[in-house]
Amino acid sequence: MSRGSRRRLPWRMLVWLTLVWLMLWGRLSTGTLLAGIAIAALVTTTLPLPAVEFQGGIHPFATARLVGRFILDLVRASIQVTLLALNPSRTPSGAVIRVHLRSESDLYLTLTAELSTLVPGSLVVEANRQTGVLHLHILDVDALGGIEKVRADTLGIEARVLRALASDDELAAAGLTRSGRDERRVEQT
Amino acid sequence: MLCSKSTLLVLLLAHAAAALGAPTLVSWLGRRAFLVLALVPGSAAAWALGQTAAVTSGEGPTMTLSWIPALGIDLAFRLDTLSWLMVLLVGGVGALVLVYCSAYFSPASGNLGRFAAFFVGFAGAMLGLVTSDNLVQLYVFWELTTVFSYLLIGHYTTRKSSRRAATKAILVTTAGGLVMLIGIVLIGDLSGTYSITDIVAAPPTGPVAVTAVVLLLVGAASKSALVPLHFWLPAAMAAPTPVSAYLHAAAMVKAGIYLVARLAPGYAGLEAWQLMILVLGGFSLVMGGYQALRQHDLKLLLAYGTVSQLGLLAILLGAGSRATALAGLALLGAHAMFKASLFLVVGLVDAATGTRDLRNLSAIWRRLPVTAVMAALAMASMIGLPPFAGFVAKEAALESLLHGGASPAWLDIALLVAFVAGSVLTVAYGLRLWWGAFATKATIPEIEPVRVIRPPLLLLAPAALLAVGGLAVAVLPGLGDQVLSPYANTYPAGEPGHLTLWPGLTPALVISLGMLAAGVGLFAIRDRVERWQATHQGPLDADNVYRRTLRGLDLFAADLTSLFQRGSLPFYLGIVLLMVVILPGGAMALGTSLPDRISLRGGVPQLLVGALVVVATILTVRSRRRLKAVILTGITGYGTAMLFFLYGAPDLALDQVLVETITLVVFVLVLRRLPAYFSNRPLAADRWVRLGIGIAVAVTVAGFAMVVPQARLEPPVSAALPQEAVAFGGGSNVVNVILVDVRAWDTMGEISVLVAAATGIASLTFLRSRTRDSRRPRDHVPGELPVLGLGDPDPMAPLRRPGTSSGSRSQEWLRGGRTLAPQRRSVVFEVTTRMLYHTMLVFAIWLLFSGHNAPGGGFAAGLITGLALAVRYLAGGRYELAEAAPLHPGLLLGSGLFLATGSGLIPILLGGEVLQTAIFDLTVPLIGEVHLITSTFFDIGVYLVVVGLMLDVLRSLGAEIDRQGEATGHDSDLVGPALEPAPPLRDRL
Repeated sequence: MSRGSRRRLPWRMLVWLTLVWLMLWGRLSTGTLLAGIAIAALVTTTLPLPAVEFQGGIHPFATARLVGRFILDLVRASIQVTLLALNPSRTPSGAVIRVHLRSESDLYLTLTAELSTLVPGSLVVEANRQTGVLHLHILDVDALGGIEKVRADTLGIEARVLRALASDDELAAAGLTRSGRDERRVEQT
Repeated sequence: MLCSKSTLLVLLLAHAAAALGAPTLVSWLGRRAFLVLALVPGSAAAWALGQTAAVTSGEGPTMTLSWIPALGIDLAFRLDTLSWLMVLLVGGVGALVLVYCSAYFSPASGNLGRFAAFFVGFAGAMLGLVTSDNLVQLYVFWELTTVFSYLLIGHYTTRKSSRRAATKAILVTTAGGLVMLIGIVLIGDLSGTYSITDIVAAPPTGPVAVTAVVLLLVGAASKSALVPLHFWLPAAMAAPTPVSAYLHAAAMVKAGIYLVARLAPGYAGLEAWQLMILVLGGFSLVMGGYQALRQHDLKLLLAYGTVSQLGLLAILLGAGSRATALAGLALLGAHAMFKASLFLVVGLVDAATGTRDLRNLSAIWRRLPVTAVMAALAMASMIGLPPFAGFVAKEAALESLLHGGASPAWLDIALLVAFVAGSVLTVAYGLRLWWGAFATKATIPEIEPVRVIRPPLLLLAPAALLAVGGLAVAVLPGLGDQVLSPYANTYPAGEPGHLTLWPGLTPALVISLGMLAAGVGLFAIRDRVERWQATHQGPLDADNVYRRTLRGLDLFAADLTSLFQRGSLPFYLGIVLLMVVILPGGAMALGTSLPDRISLRGGVPQLLVGALVVVATILTVRSRRRLKAVILTGITGYGTAMLFFLYGAPDLALDQVLVETITLVVFVLVLRRLPAYFSNRPLAADRWVRLGIGIAVAVTVAGFAMVVPQARLEPPVSAALPQEAVAFGGGSNVVNVILVDVRAWDTMGEISVLVAAATGIASLTFLRSRTRDSRRPRDHVPGELPVLGLGDPDPMAPLRRPGTSSGSRSQEWLRGGRTLAPQRRSVVFEVTTRMLYHTMLVFAIWLLFSGHNAPGGGFAAGLITGLALAVRYLAGGRYELAEAAPLHPGLLLGSGLFLATGSGLIPILLGGEVLQTAIFDLTVPLIGEVHLITSTFFDIGVYLVVVGLMLDVLRSLGAEIDRQGEATGHDSDLVGPALEPAPPLRDRL
């Protein structure tokens, strides 16, 4: 990371913070907008954090797909966990499984880990940035279709995250394509 | 007159400003700054000189500003003859001593800025004291001089003797001051006014008034070091000599005498007054002189001499006749000059030779001839040789005492005896002083001439000016007569006196000559006197009494503390809870009845939340693991927050949730260093007692809940609040308006407590100075993050070396992330923190500004910011915390308090009251209408204080404990596995 990139205006963060400000006030007016920009600039310049290299961009369709699938997973898993909780006779077959992610980036690793954790029934117990390995605790492996299926699902989350946000180079480095047709094949390897 | 009125205020403000600016000035100019500062008291003296004509004709400036009209307390100033004389002394001697300071201190000596500030501050307080025409205001200045005197005596903070002397002085004088305050309140209550002029004009009478006057005299005696409260003055000689010359000879010790002179016109006729003056003054006069004769330290000799002279002044100004009062005023001026001069000379001898023990000084007059002459002049004035001011004053005093007539005969005779005895002693110790400092003594080897440093002119001039002044004033006694009589003639009794340089061959002169001869004789047989004194110790030593009293107080405090402050938390809690049961619970049981009908409304949600809280509480009590107990306690807190929310108090709920979260974080930080499990269960009997207390408290509180709603008689104040909050506080969030407007004083008190608590936590945790710790990674050489042997004995340092990974995995998410051992880092935590940190801050800022109309406010915003900092600390370690907040928490706390106070004062400028809310409506182009509410700034102050507190907590309970753990190797969760040479992680998996 060069000095130049460190000093670069974090415009993505600025936009985001201004947006947050506007949403908090719940109204759009010139005053609020100007105040939002001013405060975003103030916060990011007086309390700086290291600049982050982000080569990708937001791909709307892939992002929509990521969000949609996540909501679907959320609903499905909620129902499963509820049923499990209401059925005391059933003994869940818990497991800790290891998933080796394909991307090299901390950001995608984190997003994958968080999305997995948010879905009830699975929880990231350890994330290793050096090796790109997630350890997931699964409440009931059988209900989710076995260890390999869970592993494939997690890799699927990663693939969707990458398609939503990553650059072409990063996708290629992870062995994925933008279209997603090869998904099944990759998951099976 | 208007001009001169405001001049006094300007002078006082100039002193304050000079005191505040003194440290800066000293850092710019070094010790030469004293010369600049001397202008300030000098200008006060010049102002008084300029007013001479007006004062003499009785038209001195007066000024009254309303301060607390409800209590009859005003800021009242006036310059009459007495004040005029005092202002001349305070300002003139002050300026001269400051000039002396500029040569006295070595350029390299430390803390000069502080010294200069206190010195000028003292001069200002003294100026205010002697011009006050209101007893309460006088008391304020009185105590200010005490505080400054304390700080100046304790100038050498590293010397134990200096600190002890300062403590002694402040204890004695504030004790006296408090006694005096009682007297002030009594007398003010009796006469219905605190104006000194009015009280003296129509003094209240009766037993209460007599008590009040006695109490006032006690205060005066403590301040003016009259026996038996004199012992702090000799001890105060631990102060630098300029302080002794100014505070303990010319100015502060005169405050008590000043009070005597102020009140004498009204009260000198009281028998109690006369008795006290005789006892206090007479004993001081004789005892002081007697003690001075046996001192070897020249400063101590002078100090006891001062005690003696103060006694004489008390007698003269308190005796009550016009003639003695005139003599007293003359002596007041003469004493200030000769005593300050003598102190300065002694300081000079001390500086030149390195000692002020007269047993080591011999033939100094040959080395310092001019100094010796100046000392002789001052000494001549002190012992009353013609033609010096001291002689004029003493002749007048003797004359008036011989004629008497103003007071009962017994008093006159007793005063005369004391006066004669004191004067003889004064001659003897005066001669002893000069002889001790300068004369050639056969038995003492001379100090090598080369080692005697010639004094610079700046050091000599002030002493010389004061000594020669004693001569100059005496040459014009008629002038003194004319200038000083106006005040002396306010005394009710006796013939007016006169000041003359040569009275002719009167009985008084004969007696004077006799006293001189006796004094010289006493000096001549000094060896025999000293031996006699050595074998005849006084039976009662006031200093001893003081020491024994303090020791007794210490022991009593220790006993009391060990009785109640046992250090057992269960004991404290038990006492507090039992008191709740006994006092309010008892009142409830005796004085109220249960309601007839109890309706269980609140619905299912409340029932569910209540059940959750109850279960969590029971589990908390039963848990054996500390962490479990803490988390369960947290659940009860969150449950309470939910109840707040259910009852429509989102603001409270928000604060409760935040506080609960922070409490959890702090608890976890502390628990790291505590055993995982609670210690063993107490004995069975204890458990029953605790259970009993718990049940009793539960029953009491439940009873309150049922009884209290019945107690309402008036419509609740909350009904009007929503409208009032908008109308007066300018905000629709009632809770916030209550906090920052309705009860802003309480909030102010609370944030002050927060500041104190934060400072307390930090000072308990930081074993070393807390200003130089929090290191940031960039303070270290790049690539060589703290490694052993680089000045930071940090055994964990090797673990923080960056990992050997490559590509975007080495991305730096947090600034201090690399300082953590790789095993300790959490990528998810780091990335999330990086993404959320700024958003949390923006959210906090929004809460801060929207809080006036919606849930939020400075408190909640501060907590969110604190949580953001906590997240960064938890994700990135202590170096990350230093990166996130490179500010010192003290700065945040201080500026927060400053902002809150400042915003409270703004409304005053707008003509409102302290902490009143002022609302501005501005129209700004582009932005539109902007509401500017002063209480928002108050809220920002609260915000800063809360953030400062959080930072202090994180730094002390987090980072500092980390550091201590690393230093001692006690970091339980890291030391074990991490110290082993870890194999590459990839291999282990």
